[in-house]
Amino acid sequence: MRSRSDIGQDVDDLVDLFENAPCGYISAAPDGRIMLANRTLSSWLGIASEKIVGRKFIDFLTMPGKIYFETHFAPLVTMQGAFNEVALDMVKADGSRLPVLVNAVARVAEGGGVRFIRITIFNATDRRRYEKELVEARAAAERSTAALKELNSHLEERVSAVVQEKLAAESALHQAQKIEALGHLTGGVAHDFNNMLAVVIGGLNMAQRRIERGTLDDVPKLLAAALDGANRAATLTQRLLAFARQQPLSPGSVDANKLVANMAEILASTLGEVIQKETVLASGLWRTKADANQLENVVLNLAVNARDAMPEGGKLTIETANTRIDEAYAADHDIAPGQYVMIAVTDTGCGMPPEVIEKAIDPFFTTKPVGKGTGLGLSQVFGFAKQSGGHLKIYSEVGTGTTMKIYLPRDYDGDGSGDLYKDEAVPRGSPDEVILLVEDDASVREVHTRMLEELGYSVVAADGPLAALQIIAARSDVALLFTDVVMAPMNGRKLADEARIKRPGLPVVFTTGYSRNAVVHNGVLDPGVIFLQKPATLGDLARKVRAALDT
Amino acid sequence: MSVVHRNNIKSTGKGGRTMLFAHGFGCDQNMWRYVAPQFEDDFRVVTFDHVGAGGSDLAAYDFQKYATLDGYASDIVEIGQELGIEGGIFVGHSVSAMMGVLASLKAPGMFSKLVLVGPSPRYINDGDYQGGFTQEQVDELLEFLDSNHMGWSQAMAPVIMGNPEQPELSEELTNSFCKTDPEIAKHFARATFTADNRADLAKVTVPSLILQCAEDVIAPVWVGHYLHANIPDSKLVLMKATGHCPNLSHPLETTDAIRSFVTA
Repeated sequence: MRSRSDIGQDVDDLVDLFENAPCGYISAAPDGRIMLANRTLSSWLGIASEKIVGRKFIDFLTMPGKIYFETHFAPLVTMQGAFNEVALDMVKADGSRLPVLVNAVARVAEGGGVRFIRITIFNATDRRRYEKELVEARAAAERSTAALKELNSHLEERVSAVVQEKLAAESALHQAQKIEALGHLTGGVAHDFNNMLAVVIGGLNMAQRRIERGTLDDVPKLLAAALDGANRAATLTQRLLAFARQQPLSPGSVDANKLVANMAEILASTLGEVIQKETVLASGLWRTKADANQLENVVLNLAVNARDAMPEGGKLTIETANTRIDEAYAADHDIAPGQYVMIAVTDTGCGMPPEVIEKAIDPFFTTKPVGKGTGLGLSQVFGFAKQSGGHLKIYSEVGTGTTMKIYLPRDYDGDGSGDLYKDEAVPRGSPDEVILLVEDDASVREVHTRMLEELGYSVVAADGPLAALQIIAARSDVALLFTDVVMAPMNGRKLADEARIKRPGLPVVFTTGYSRNAVVHNGVLDPGVIFLQKPATLGDLARKVRAALDT
Repeated sequence: MSVVHRNNIKSTGKGGRTMLFAHGFGCDQNMWRYVAPQFEDDFRVVTFDHVGAGGSDLAAYDFQKYATLDGYASDIVEIGQELGIEGGIFVGHSVSAMMGVLASLKAPGMFSKLVLVGPSPRYINDGDYQGGFTQEQVDELLEFLDSNHMGWSQAMAPVIMGNPEQPELSEELTNSFCKTDPEIAKHFARATFTADNRADLAKVTVPSLILQCAEDVIAPVWVGHYLHANIPDSKLVLMKATGHCPNLSHPLETTDAIRSFVTA
C-alpha cells in the first residue's frame, strides 16, 4: 500500500523526468495548439515554456520547415498517426537555428478521437554536421567518379600529357641533381685545390725570401715542395676531366701485362703489408687500345677500392686474359661484340649487395665514411672503360669478395707506342731545331719558353696567331709549331691550318688547359694531332715535342 | 504510355458526373482519402497522382515538361480525355487548384465547376500583392530542398533516390505516404512557388468555389479574397479549419462545403 507521500514523490519524479529529459517534449491539441512544453526545449530555444504554450509547433520553424510541415508532415500525423525522424530547423529566441529531429505521434482517446499529439524533439546539431559531411563526401566521390570517367574518355591524350609533364619534371629534377652534384664537386675541388695552392704559394714565398736574403741552402727543397703541390694539382684536374669524360684520351697500343707488371712497386706501397698481392698474367695476351696513363690510374683505383674492402687484410689478385664478347652479351651490356683484353681485380673483402652494385658507378656514390672517398673512383673507371670502347663488369658476393673486370678492345695492329715512358730519359732537342711558340698568356709563354730552352731547343715566341703567321712567313727554319688552342682572332687549329698552307707538313703540338675544344672530337684527339694537356711536366712536354718532330 | 498507369488513376463511385480530385504540393491522392469517398454515391470519383508523386510512373517524369504548372495542366486534360470527362467537377488542393484553372482553359467543356482548396495564383509578394512569401523566403525554401530533402534526414534521402530497383527499402520508411525523389520534389517546389497565374484568373468561364482556411501559412486569407475578386463567378468560403490541408484536418467541413457547391 503506497502512502500519499510516496505517490507525491513518484509524481515529482515523473515531472522531473518530463521537464529535464534529454529531448524536447511538446503536447499539442488536435488543432496543433501547444498545451505543454518541457524545460529542455524551453532552454534550447531560449523561450520560456509559458510563451511556447498556446502557439503552434510550426510557429517555431523556419519558412521551409513551415511549408513542409504543413504540406507533408501534418498530413502524415492525420493519415498514419505518426511521423518519425523528420529533420527540421527550429528558430531560437535570438533568431539562430537549432537543427532538430522530430517525431510526432497522435494519442488516441478511447472513443477514437485524438486526445493530443506528442511531439518529441531531438537536438540534431552534431548529427546534421555529420550528415553534411557525409553528403559532401558523397558529392566529392561523385565528382571523382565523374573526373575518372572524363579521364577515361580522354585517356590517350591525358596519358600523353601526363607523360610529358613527368618527363619535364624528371628533366627538371635531373637538372637540379646535376647542379647539386656540381656544387659538391666544386666545393671539394676548391678545398683540395686550395690545399695544393697553399703548398705551392708557401714554398715559393719561402724560397723567394731565402733568395732575397741570399741564403740559398733550402731553396731546392722548398721549390721541390712547391713543384710537388703543383703536380698534385695537375693530377687533380686530370682526374676531374676523366670523371667528366672530357679528358682527351691518347689511346695507343698497350701491353696490359707489361703495364700491370710495371705497377708492382706502386701497388705494393699502396696495398700495404696486410694484403697479399698476386698477379696472374695470361701468356700471349693481345695488345689493347687505350690511354696507358689512364689505364694505370684505373688499375690503381681498383686496387685502392679492393684494399679498402679488406681492412683486416686479404688477398688481391690482378689477372689478365683474352676474351671474346659474343652477340648476346654485347646486346645486354651496351658494348660491341668482338675480342677484348680483360683485366680483373679481385679482392677477398666484404663484398657488395646487389643494390650497392647497382649504384656503385653512380657519381658521388660511396660506401666509405665522409672524407674517405669522393665517390668518383668507380664512376671514373666506368667512364674510362666506356670511353675506350670497353666495358666494366662488377661481380660481388657479400662476405666473399668482389671482382671488377675491365674489358678493353683488342688492338690488332699495335706497335707499342702507347706504352708508358716511365723509365725513359727525357728526350732532348738541339739548338738548330727552332720551335715557334704561340701563347697569349705572357707567364705561360715565359714558362714554356724556358722549358723548351731547357730541353735544348731554340724558341721563337709569338703572343698571338697574327704574330705567329708573320714569323712563319719570315723564317724558313721553324721546325715545329707549338701553339695554344684557345686564342683570338683565330684559334690554334686555324692557325695550324694557315701555317701549313705556307709550310706543308709542319709538325704541330697543341696545348690547352681546356678540354672541350677544337682539337677534340668525342674526347679523342684527331688522328695525327699531338696534344699536350696543360699544365704539363717537363717530361710530358719533352716527349710530345720530340714525338712531333720525329714523326 | 497509358495515362491511367502514368498517373496511377483510381476511379470509384456510381454517379454519371465525374469529380476529379487532384492533390497538391506534398503527398499524393491519399490527401483525399477522407473526402473523396463521401461523393461516391452521387458521382464517379476519380483520384490520381501527379507524375513524380505517390504511385505515378516516375519514368514519365520530364524535367522540362514539369518545370511549370502548364505541364501538369496538360496531364489533367489528358486524364479528362482518357476518362471522357465532360461537364465534370474539378477539385484541386493547393497548387493543383491553379492547375485546374489552366486545364479548364485548355479544354473548355471538360469541367463545369471548379473547387479550389487553399489556392494561390502567386506565392511571392509583388508590390501590393500579398502572396505571403518574400523572394528571399522562397529562395531559402529551394536552398533547403538542396540541402535537406523535404525534411527527411539527409542520409536517408539518397536511400530513397538511390534504390529505385529496391522499392521495398523506401516502403519501409514510416513516412512512406510522402515519399518523393528529392530532385523531383525540388523541381515541383520550384514550379509551385515561382508560379504566377494571376493573369489567368479573369479567363475562367465556369463557376468556382474558393475554400480558404484560417491560419494557412501557405495560402493566407488575403490571397483568398484576391482570388474571389479576380475570378468571375467565384464563391469564397472562409473555413473554420486551420492550416493548409482541411481535406485531412477537417474533412467534414470540407466535404460539406464542396457538396453544397456541386449540388447547388
